[in-house]
Amino acid sequence: MAALLEVRNLSKRFASRAGREPSPWIIRDLSFSVADGEFLTIVGPSGGGKTTLLNMIAQIDTASGGEIVFQSKSAPLGDKTSLKPGLNCQIGYVTQEDNLLPWRTCLENVLFPLMAQGRLNDETRAHAQSLIRAVGLEGWEKHYPHELSGGMRKRTSLIRTLVYDPPVILMDEPFGAVDAQTRVQLQEDLLRLWNLGRKTIVFVTHDITEAIALADRTLVLTRQPSSVAGEHIITIPRPRDIRDILTHPEFVDLYRRIRAQVQ
Amino acid sequence: MTTPTLSGQAAGAAALLRGGPLGLLARKRDQLLVLVVLLAIWQGLSILLGEYWIGTPWGTVRRLVSGIADGELLQHASYTVAEAIIGFLVGGIPAAALPFVLRRLPMVTAIIDPIMVGGYGSPKLALAPLFILWFGIGIESKIALIVFTVFFIVYFSTLAGIRALDPKLVQMAQMSGASESDIARHIIFPGAVPHIFAGLRIAMPYSIGAAVVAELISANRGLGYMIQLRSMNFDTTGIFVALAAVCFIVAVANWIVNIVERHLLLWRPPADVTAQKE
Repeated sequence: MAALLEVRNLSKRFASRAGREPSPWIIRDLSFSVADGEFLTIVGPSGGGKTTLLNMIAQIDTASGGEIVFQSKSAPLGDKTSLKPGLNCQIGYVTQEDNLLPWRTCLENVLFPLMAQGRLNDETRAHAQSLIRAVGLEGWEKHYPHELSGGMRKRTSLIRTLVYDPPVILMDEPFGAVDAQTRVQLQEDLLRLWNLGRKTIVFVTHDITEAIALADRTLVLTRQPSSVAGEHIITIPRPRDIRDILTHPEFVDLYRRIRAQVQ
Repeated sequence: MTTPTLSGQAAGAAALLRGGPLGLLARKRDQLLVLVVLLAIWQGLSILLGEYWIGTPWGTVRRLVSGIADGELLQHASYTVAEAIIGFLVGGIPAAALPFVLRRLPMVTAIIDPIMVGGYGSPKLALAPLFILWFGIGIESKIALIVFTVFFIVYFSTLAGIRALDPKLVQMAQMSGASESDIARHIIFPGAVPHIFAGLRIAMPYSIGAAVVAELISANRGLGYMIQLRSMNFDTTGIFVALAAVCFIVAVANWIVNIVERHLLLWRPPADVTAQKE
């Protein structure tokens, strides 16, 4: 498989402000690539620059060095003004917070990217409706975010990104703030949706179990400054049963190896 | 083990009183009680100090009725209300629009900031004589004073609303392919509406107050003129009538703002925490 997204020697430190040295390196010489249709998970210690990495790929933050190549083209990373958030809707981003618009209903939030891109028609509306059904949000379409549970808000935020079909989707601990039960349901939802479309996903988490359960491949990052500490191909066959994966012999072995690398 | 159960029941009953129909009834009853006490104090003071200094409540009601009947009160009130509405719109609309224009011009915002702060802090009433000199004793000078009062209140609350917006929502919109005008229309504006309304809600009684004060200083019509004239004649009851009319106008205006706000802000969680669902 050809690399769809390549990160080459990426480095990041925050610029100096008046009277202050620039911050220490957060990411230093980080390189990896993501194949088309691959589900890549990235684990690492918290505060390890994982969110910063995704922000740079998503083009909402600049890099201090290195290069990000998307579809064989180098993405602009030099200064704030040349950034193109989402690279013309090529890169979707499901952030840690759901970032739903509180003044729009569940359905209106899901339709927002389609409206912004001028792609709102019967076909895309039907697609949105099918996604809403797929994650069990039927009956909640006309409710405002404050009327939805944490899990429902996460689902809304997830399908808001899926609805416009970006080739790459970045996910930053999207299921971090929900309870364990809901979390497993959300992971199952995500795998089911991914199986239908097989998008390229870069999924950041600090939960090793989640990283193994979802991925084709897992990258382990070091402490700051982040670089790659290890790489693991996950060969547990799909479709996977997330509830049973803990007892899979391969899982136990992978968990032990990754645990040893995450400090 | 009985104590928690008892306190639980008490909490349940209290919640019922606060939020339920019983609570509404109890609140109305208490409001009525406060009103009766205030009227009693008023009546007492009137007896104590003499009707000459403090007109009686009943006398005020009679004068109010006769004032409405002969059209005098309505004529003056409508003049004041017209000034307030025109001033409120002429001052409020540009004040709510300007921060949206300035959003893309941080330099300009910074340059005019001291002027805006000065305008906001200046004692508006002290400007009334100046406006009367410039614009005469007609409606123009009153409107100028109201515009000046309303503008800064609404400007700063709108500006605060735009600044309070979560930049992550803007980032989300940018990533979803939204253009600058989409972001202004669908993210910045709806996000600022609660703040704009907070400003309008504060500015509204000020606009009526400014109209009355400007009329006090120099006018030949309006509720402020009425108060001024009656004060010259030592007619305290007459002044109370005019004040009651001002209070009534403010109450009605507040009621209208509430209704408009409720329709525009249906998406907001209810303000009462006890009524919020989890």
